Amino acid sequence: MIEVVALKKKFKLTKDHKIKNEEHKDPRESDGYFHSVRDVSFRCERGEVLGLLGPNGAGKTTTLRMLSTALQPDAGSININGVDVVSDPLLARKKIGFLSGSTGLYGRLTAKENIEYFARLHGMDKREIKLRCDELFELLDMHSFLNKRAEHLSTGMKQKTNIARAVVHQPEVVVLDEPTTGLDIMTTQTVIEFIQGLKQQGTPVIFSTHHLDEVDLLCERVSVIDKGISCFDGSLNEFREVGQSDTLNQAFLNILQETQNV
Amino acid sequence: MFEVYLKELRELLRDRKTLIFVVALPVAIFPILFGLMGFLMSQATLDAEQKVHVYAVANESYAQSFADELFYHKSFKKSEKTYNTVEEMSEAVKAGEIDVGIVLPSDARETLDNEQQSEWKVVFNDSQSISFIFKRINDAALKFSKELQSERFTALGVTKEAQVALLNPIKVVKVDTADKRENIGEKLGALIPYLLIPLVLAGASYPAIDLGAGEKERGTLETLLLTPVTRTELVLGKFLTVLTTSLATAAITVVSMGLWISVVGNFIALEKISDALGTMGVFDLALILLLLIPLAAIFSSLVLAISIYARTFKEAQNYMGPLSMLAFMPLVVAMMPNMELTFKTAVIPVTNVALAIKEIIKGTVDYAMVGMIFAATVVVAGVLMGYCVYWFKKESVLFR
Repeated sequence: MIEVVALKKKFKLTKDHKIKNEEHKDPRESDGYFHSVRDVSFRCERGEVLGLLGPNGAGKTTTLRMLSTALQPDAGSININGVDVVSDPLLARKKIGFLSGSTGLYGRLTAKENIEYFARLHGMDKREIKLRCDELFELLDMHSFLNKRAEHLSTGMKQKTNIARAVVHQPEVVVLDEPTTGLDIMTTQTVIEFIQGLKQQGTPVIFSTHHLDEVDLLCERVSVIDKGISCFDGSLNEFREVGQSDTLNQAFLNILQETQNV
Repeated sequence: MFEVYLKELRELLRDRKTLIFVVALPVAIFPILFGLMGFLMSQATLDAEQKVHVYAVANESYAQSFADELFYHKSFKKSEKTYNTVEEMSEAVKAGEIDVGIVLPSDARETLDNEQQSEWKVVFNDSQSISFIFKRINDAALKFSKELQSERFTALGVTKEAQVALLNPIKVVKVDTADKRENIGEKLGALIPYLLIPLVLAGASYPAIDLGAGEKERGTLETLLLTPVTRTELVLGKFLTVLTTSLATAAITVVSMGLWISVVGNFIALEKISDALGTMGVFDLALILLLLIPLAAIFSSLVLAISIYARTFKEAQNYMGPLSMLAFMPLVVAMMPNMELTFKTAVIPVTNVALAIKEIIKGTVDYAMVGMIFAATVVVAGVLMGYCVYWFKKESVLFR
């Protein structure tokens, strides 16, 4: 279970930024700061998949980066299975597996070495690593390219390696930042199957996306962020209800429209 | 931390670009370049030496023995045409008919009888940097001049021995207290840090760019930040990698230089240098390496901090240019003639290490001073390393 309450994050604005944006100011800019995330809350139970939606620049990536502990929140709490992880990022990193569409691999290491390296950084010992890696290689059908350098792998192979890397330490929660953006259909399918696998194991998954068909396929819950504020959090059915449409795209647009009118 | 260190090293060893800079450059490419340069230089000198100049003398009869000297000189060949004025000779030199022309305005003996100097004009193209024309003519003229002097003195009844004394009443003789090593060390000692220190910087900067900005660009930095390894450990792992390559570059260079010198020494007589440097013990060499360690640490922290700040490989490379200028300035200061290690110069970073290396090579080093420099450099390196760690924890640097 993961619960996020009232997250906040601001960034200092640079001089260039201030001058450039004097005319059309983003409502999130004030006193030299850009309040990227102003109030974001959601929760995801065991065995649930949460889809994080929102227009570009809404604060999704910032939110997920705070979840993954890359950024430190200014306020709010993140609670994983009853443990507050904001105050202890090292502990949080052991509990979270993170994967984004843009994360890379070390090109000069082989796929296997990449995964083993991260396993070692997670403090796993040799025997554990061997067991876990064999399991993952079998699961993701990676045996054919294990000893190839990552720079020579195809996009699909890379994404499989990335997935294995992200979950090698058996995280309690998996966070995915637009994991399917820019991937072909085959590779997208790999990611989707991987999320379904996690769901069956009961691992909560949070992922941000722009593809609502994926949300329909995978998610129990949906959370919408707009301009740094959570404007919807509920089940997929509630999403359709509030959005007053059976098609998810229309429902999403209606919800955004509504928040802007308020 | 050591996981990071070992992995970075392994990755670097698989990178051909880094290997070229760290290993191939000092081991093979530099010696080949220097060798080629030396070969061309000596070839040019040899050519100039062996060249036979076509010459013409106006009014030969005014200084017959000088003319004869040139005529029988192995490097001179008399032109078949004759020229009488400076203008004619200038034209002839420009046209390539002769290499050099000499105009004797009057009979040298008669002029001397009138207690006056003769002025000879030597016409040639002086734009070549290695040329022996003027020196050879001047030598021949000097010989003739001595002949005239001697004739005069004899006529005045001065004996040969007295002539020498009369011409040079005082002879100044140098008694040098500097031994061979000190002498060569002064010349060579300025050069070696000039070669070593930039190599330490270069050896640090190439891998550093890859380890910081390179990881950012490839998107691996973010995943690395999400492992339960503290950021301090991550930076230190990276820092150690950069330090290792930096020192490895320096060490490989020194070793390969030693090897090449001993190889070349078999063909060309380098006894002077090898004798002088032969007195340098293992202790001195170790001391040089020891001084380079904190310096390498300074450079490593600097380039790593820059690399972490940069968004891309390219941006990092852009910052390296000004940085190497910054590193070169104090080196140039140390290269200036008569620069010595004093308490003043010992506080300038880089300069102090360069000067200390020079003194060590000269064998005139003050060990207390070296200790002080070592301590000062270690402190600076420590501060910079601390800064690097602090830098790596800043969100505004990591996620620019």
